[in-house]
Amino acid sequence: MKSITGNIAVEGKNIVKDFIIGDTTTKVLKDISLKVLKSEFVSIMGQSGSGKSTLLYILGGLDTPTRGTVSMNGIDISKFDDEKMSRIRRQKIGFVFQFYNLIPNLDVEENIMLPLLLDGKKIRDYRKRLDEILEVVGLTDRKKHTPRELSGGQQQRVAIARALMGSPDILFADEPTGNLDSKTGAEIMELLQSINKNSGQTIIMVTHSPEAAKSSDRIITVKDGVIL
Amino acid sequence: MKIILKYILTNVKERKTRTIVMLLSIVLSAVLLFVSFSIGTSYENAQQKMARGMAGSAAISVSPLSPDDTVGLDDIPELTSIKAKAGMLEGSALYHEDGYYETIDLIASDLSLLNQINKPRLVSGGDIENFTGYKVILPDRFTSKYGIEKGDTVILQINGVPTRFEVAEIASYDTVFLRHTRGATALLPESTLAEILQKKNGYSEILIEPAGDVSAGELADTLTEELSGRPLSVSKVVNEEQIEADARQKSMPFFLISFFALTMSVFIIYSSYKVITLDRLPIIGTFRSIGATQKTVTRILMLESALYGFTGGIIGILLGTVILKLILRGMGDSLSAGIEIPVVITPAAVLLSFGTAVIVSILSAWIPVRRASRLPIKDVVLGMVEEKHMPNHHAAGIGIALLVVSVLLPRLASGKFLYPAGGFSLLGLISAAIMVIPLVTNLLSKVLERVYTVIFKNEGMLAARNLRDNKNITQNITLLFISISAVIAITVVGNFVNTYITDVFNGAELQGFADGEMDEDFIRQVEGMEGIEKILPVYVFNNEMQCQDHTFSRLEATDNLELYNSMFHLIYSKKDMEVSAISAFSETRSILLNEDVLNRNDYEIGDSLTLENDSGRNTYTIAGSFKSRATDVEAVIPSAYAIPDFKPAVYHFLAYTAADPDSIMIQIRDLFGNTQNWSRTVEEFNTDALSTVGVFLEPMFSMTYLILLLAAVGIINNLLINYIQKRRSIAMYKSVGLSNRQNIKITIIESLTSGIIGAAIAIVVSYLEIQTIFLVAGPKISMSPDLDFKTFLSAGLLGILVTLAGSVVPMVKSRKMKLVEEIKFE
Repeated sequence: MKSITGNIAVEGKNIVKDFIIGDTTTKVLKDISLKVLKSEFVSIMGQSGSGKSTLLYILGGLDTPTRGTVSMNGIDISKFDDEKMSRIRRQKIGFVFQFYNLIPNLDVEENIMLPLLLDGKKIRDYRKRLDEILEVVGLTDRKKHTPRELSGGQQQRVAIARALMGSPDILFADEPTGNLDSKTGAEIMELLQSINKNSGQTIIMVTHSPEAAKSSDRIITVKDGVIL
Repeated sequence: MKIILKYILTNVKERKTRTIVMLLSIVLSAVLLFVSFSIGTSYENAQQKMARGMAGSAAISVSPLSPDDTVGLDDIPELTSIKAKAGMLEGSALYHEDGYYETIDLIASDLSLLNQINKPRLVSGGDIENFTGYKVILPDRFTSKYGIEKGDTVILQINGVPTRFEVAEIASYDTVFLRHTRGATALLPESTLAEILQKKNGYSEILIEPAGDVSAGELADTLTEELSGRPLSVSKVVNEEQIEADARQKSMPFFLISFFALTMSVFIIYSSYKVITLDRLPIIGTFRSIGATQKTVTRILMLESALYGFTGGIIGILLGTVILKLILRGMGDSLSAGIEIPVVITPAAVLLSFGTAVIVSILSAWIPVRRASRLPIKDVVLGMVEEKHMPNHHAAGIGIALLVVSVLLPRLASGKFLYPAGGFSLLGLISAAIMVIPLVTNLLSKVLERVYTVIFKNEGMLAARNLRDNKNITQNITLLFISISAVIAITVVGNFVNTYITDVFNGAELQGFADGEMDEDFIRQVEGMEGIEKILPVYVFNNEMQCQDHTFSRLEATDNLELYNSMFHLIYSKKDMEVSAISAFSETRSILLNEDVLNRNDYEIGDSLTLENDSGRNTYTIAGSFKSRATDVEAVIPSAYAIPDFKPAVYHFLAYTAADPDSIMIQIRDLFGNTQNWSRTVEEFNTDALSTVGVFLEPMFSMTYLILLLAAVGIINNLLINYIQKRRSIAMYKSVGLSNRQNIKITIIESLTSGIIGAAIAIVVSYLEIQTIFLVAGPKISMSPDLDFKTFLSAGLLGILVTLAGSVVPMVKSRKMKLVEEIKFE
């Protein structure tokens, strides 16, 4: 277990999230506060509808809280405009989704490079880094393939590579093994664990699977919108 | 069944925007089909009415062989195949005012009989009463031109004698007053005209209407047999086949509109249904998982499309009827004399439009629905369905082959195969383009990727990459190209038909002409007029020059064939013929023949013809053949030989060009003084023609707007579909850092590029379509379409603008997009 006195990668303070459907307001997150330290691998667990994914998306800047703040490296990002938030997504964070979310008409290399391309970088300037990442995720021989030519496990590896390409401060993963068979799921978890161990990458992961959560340093359990 | 219906109705209600767009496209297609079918029929009907003119419902005419004789009603046998008959007295007169001469055809009949076959329609309404003595009924097209009112006195010169008539009534330019030649028709009391013509015991002709199902041909045969041996001639009033063929040619743009409307609606409904079924996959999965068979799922979805078809068809026909009435009323009103144009709604048009709306809806939905219902249940339930990828090169290969065949076929076909070949070519060109578009887009995307990277940086590169293998983009381009090419083809063909009908002098150099007796001194005076540029006096032999059995209806002689060619825009049958004819005219007795005369008499170039009139005879060699719309001359000979051979006393026709044609015309009319002449500027002539015929074409242009509206609905529908399918992909981009500004930039680049590709393909395809249309119609017309690049360019730009405007909605919607909802939705 790493020391919790290290630097804070992301901090949520008094996060409240309400969903309004028709006349009904559902309180999904009820005043949650948490800190994740740099290089930490945290799993967020909970039953369906507990609010764990909502918490992840709010921490990762893909969603905004109804109340409360989110800070990354001490900077409050919850009030950022679209332009600033997009830059944060390109440069400071990486996301891995359950359904991979790859762009079907871009090949593996282009998908991995996407955050950097959106940041105005050229593929040719990142060739070495790209090859390294492809090597790490084991897809060197698949770099010119499109997502539809890859298996589920391979697609998730591309998604992980894409999330890591810009050397983000934090990697968010929403049920990264949820759509994979157990063997492939275990491989993906092994990969995430090794990335965390070898390069000190901060990872916050939502998972249903206790098996997957075992790879992390800390497990946060969410139930009915609060951290247990 | 009840639950299925409830499910369908809930679907329709929940997806309001899509339902409206789908319904709108079906309604508009049905309206366009219905109106274009019905307007074609109504137009044919009006054409027939005009061609029949005085004859009305009569189809047969019996007249004496000698114009000096008469024919009586008693001369016609009582036959059951005859419904009605009316005797007509016919004479001619001249009306002269301010240098204008108008030919007036005088007619008279027993009004009770005339009313049976062609009752005159008075402007004031009501019936003709107290119509005796020196009274006249004139059409309002004539009276409004000369400011004549009811009760005025007009002077008509009959056989050179000025005769005064009181204008008893003013009639609509309709029924007996309708004519397709210049001048006007005047109705006189029967006894008055009989007295003037000194024909008190009979008529100039008897017009006969056949009974019920008896055809004109059958009655003509019967009467010819019954009247054999008598000095009478039986003939059909009009050549129905010719009228039908003429009307068909003029209603061509309307059918073109139908064709495009149909193609577009198929595409719109098909693409909508593809998305609807994709959207419904979870429901399909649920149905299948609880035991619904493939057939049941297909039936449920098909029932929904049938509902759209039925509703759209019914609304379309109702709306179409209103639009048709408005258009036809507009047509009638714009004619200065207000021809009553019947609204002809045939059951065939109703059935065809309704049937098409329903069948197109069902068939367009069938392919995607069938595909969806056949998917493995597990894949559907787990949301693992991906669109099948057809290898592009197969479709593109077939497309290229089809393109080649479609371009070549109308060029190779002839005779009765020409029309089917044309139809195949039009459909083939569109289908080929649809098949080739993915390949073209992919290739262009590769080129543009490099170009855009330089111009628009990485966003440009991503936009170009997004074009590749992107079905939404190819669908957009396809719809755009169909819409733009429809607008281009309809505009070009419409303008052509307009010009063809209303501007017979198109391409001819002359700006004015005079028809009357003119001697050398007259010509010299015209030559001396200020501002005159070119002048071509012509000797005219009307119905007097004979050659074996053929009498030339009009033969002209000129001393300057080169000028004659340009003045009348003579189109020679072969390219080098013009040069050889000019040289032959200066060297020997040569004759140029109208292509019709050449073919009808089986003459060959180089044959010798002996021409003969009352003054002499001589042999002329055929130096060439031509067609021309500016002159109805049958033959042209050199005046250097015509003068000694046939001794024409004066010129009868003069064509000229001038800086101010109007001023020359006024001076020419002045020179003629009180001598009979018919002198017009080309502009004046065209204005006259436009006021009667051109107005028939106005509805076509209003229909073009409907086509544009359908195209706009289609494009918006597609952009909506595009957004529905693309929003997840936008969310994916945004999740890795795409900002709104970048999204707008990429969307604009994508829209602009797909707009440009669609417009470029449309320009090429519509050019090929126009070629096909004129290759098919070509043998019957002696004029080429005016392919104004501006039309192509502006239609293309319009398409690009519509696409750009349509991308505003996705841009706005994606700004407000809830990222998490889109990403988590699977």
